[in-house]
Amino acid sequence: MDIEQRVRKVVARQLKLDEKEVKLESEFVRDLGAESIQSIELVACFEEEFDIEMDEQDALAVRTVGSAVEFIKKAIEERGGKTQ
Amino acid sequence: MSQPNSYGNLTQEEIEILERQGCSSQDWSQVKVADGFNPARVRNVQFLGRVHVGRFTGGIKLAGGLEKPSGIYCATIVDCTIGDDVRISNVGVHIANYDIGPNACIENVGTMLTRPGATFGNGVKVAVLNEAGGREVTLFDELSAQFAYLMCMHRYRPELIEKLLEMAAKEVKKVRSDIGKVGAGAQICSTPEIIDVNVGPCSIIKAAASLVNGTVLSSVEAPSIIESNVVAEDFIIAESASVTGSAHLKKVFVGQGCQIGSQFSAENSLFFSNCEAFNGEACSVFAGPYTVTHHKSTLLIACLFSFYNAGSGTNQSNHMYKLGPVHEGKLERGTKAGSFSYMMWPCRVGPFSVVLGKHTRIFDTSDFPFGHLEAGPDGKCSMIPGLYLATAGTLRDAEKWPKRDRRRGAIKRDIISFDIFSPYTVGKMVRASSILSSLQDSTDRSVEEVSINGAEMKRVLLRTSQKFYRTSIEMYLLGKVLAKCEKALDGGIEEIRKAFAAEAGAVFSRDWVDIGGQLMPKQRLLDVTNSIEGGEITDFAAFCGEVAKIYQAFEKDEWAWVKETYKEFFGRALETLTKDDLVEAAESYRRAKIRFLKQVLIDAEKDFGGLSRTGFGQDGSAEDLDEDFRQVRGLYDENKFVKETRANIEAVECRVAEFKEKILAVL
Repeated sequence: MDIEQRVRKVVARQLKLDEKEVKLESEFVRDLGAESIQSIELVACFEEEFDIEMDEQDALAVRTVGSAVEFIKKAIEERGGKTQ
Repeated sequence: MSQPNSYGNLTQEEIEILERQGCSSQDWSQVKVADGFNPARVRNVQFLGRVHVGRFTGGIKLAGGLEKPSGIYCATIVDCTIGDDVRISNVGVHIANYDIGPNACIENVGTMLTRPGATFGNGVKVAVLNEAGGREVTLFDELSAQFAYLMCMHRYRPELIEKLLEMAAKEVKKVRSDIGKVGAGAQICSTPEIIDVNVGPCSIIKAAASLVNGTVLSSVEAPSIIESNVVAEDFIIAESASVTGSAHLKKVFVGQGCQIGSQFSAENSLFFSNCEAFNGEACSVFAGPYTVTHHKSTLLIACLFSFYNAGSGTNQSNHMYKLGPVHEGKLERGTKAGSFSYMMWPCRVGPFSVVLGKHTRIFDTSDFPFGHLEAGPDGKCSMIPGLYLATAGTLRDAEKWPKRDRRRGAIKRDIISFDIFSPYTVGKMVRASSILSSLQDSTDRSVEEVSINGAEMKRVLLRTSQKFYRTSIEMYLLGKVLAKCEKALDGGIEEIRKAFAAEAGAVFSRDWVDIGGQLMPKQRLLDVTNSIEGGEITDFAAFCGEVAKIYQAFEKDEWAWVKETYKEFFGRALETLTKDDLVEAAESYRRAKIRFLKQVLIDAEKDFGGLSRTGFGQDGSAEDLDEDFRQVRGLYDENKFVKETRANIEAVECRVAEFKEKILAVL
């Protein structure tokens, strides 16, 4: 499963949505209805799923599913891991 | 209170003048007057029993610039001493057994009476915390939050409690009297019933409905106010307090600087410094300093609070329909309850937590400060420890409480530790981190939730909460170390290492405790309580002296804790740190503090975000929405708190840069 698929799976599971509803351009708050506690949980899930660190400022910049995918890819590369 | 030096009998001429002016007495020989007494200012007065009357030469200044002549007009006075330039007028029934100080004004009262053996609210047993009894606190005039806390909470030490009760009894005995007091300059008007009440100097009692068995402490610098249909029985109201607006109090202590009004009713409750209570109800509440409840439909019952804020409609239950209202709650300092939150006792909540929703399960989150505690649909508590650490609300609270200290006058009875970050809270964070880490290590990833003392927590957030705590622990410890270094830097590394030593007389305890608003090492608490049990501290004044000494030792005790905790947390004793280590420590502090402050700014920005603008620009366009918001709320970048926080970030950068430059130059 590639990073995008894994991200969409995590998002769907956390926000209790169908994976089909989770698109790259979907905004977490505006389109997917993520509330503030859910946003914190999403960050924690991404950190655990991909073994990365995301601080508050990083999380603020990640507004869409697509930007989350990009952030995670970059974090994995910086860690020296493979993104696929 | 000051009284004229000597009293003498009325002359026959004076008696005739008085009788012509409608005055009477069963026995004029029992009425004594001061030198310079002027009978012209005594009209339509019936004197019964032994009455001493001072001089009436001046006037009384009242609100609105009004001035009225002193004297006694239309009253029945029974067994009283009346000081110089007192004004008494329109007494419906009588004033009996009172010693009235100079310049006091009593107008339009019904009955003012002191009965034999009155104790003026002192000695009343208040069933705090447990409505069914078992934690009663004895009221007395100078009751402090610390003393009351021990008497209420440390029931597991019966000998201590016995000694505290003896101390309280001594205080009660001091005030027992057949004669009540109205202090100099007090103003009492339009109040039908005042029975067994001592009224302090310069206090204002205006249009109260009934005051029975109580004391109103007051002074020139710190006057108290009771107004507008207040009904109070078995009470003590301390200096700088105000009780107004039809409030009803029964078996209540109102501490210095408290404000109670707007039909608030309280029973068997203690309110210590700077509490605010309006519109709602309290029953068996120990309200430590800065407990605030403002809204209708809010009930505080059977709970310990301090630095607390109750949202509208906040509610609790202490009754399970089994053996009576026997259950208790403990909300540690700084806890807030959201609107219409509900808690079923018994429960205990860690400091600076936020309680939301309707909790119908028992839980104890006291080990997890700054927690988010939200009730699910099943009433279970879902917890996120540490969520409220780096928030604008927490930082603003830290700044506002000291500024809102309404206690005037030299004597401040309650000792209040305002620090948000202290060995008390940071110690809890350290322990919490350890608990969360153990759980993280021992819980399989397949598990969605873990249970901690009755509260549930998402497993995936175990690491997140540890991160929340880590930033603050680092910020606190490194900040304290940096401050110590800065002071000793000019003396070189040896001077710095000396500065790192614990100060003489400091007491180290891993655990710190919050005693009615005062933070201290647990050992200090044990020393005080052992001294009371052992008979070394035998009276209330000595107790106050000891807790004051503990307060004065706060900084050195705190440093002893920081020193030990630094060693455990970072794995290095401070004395072994080299110049490079200190530079690195300063840099770590800078990172932690700035990370913390930036998180606070992110939190503050939410109040300016899109969702926060919902409803603005009524009847207007999209541009009108933004303009409406700007006019009412202002811009984020211009917000005072935001500007101060940004300035704080810059200050941290400058401070650390200067420190690094200096340490590299000096060492």
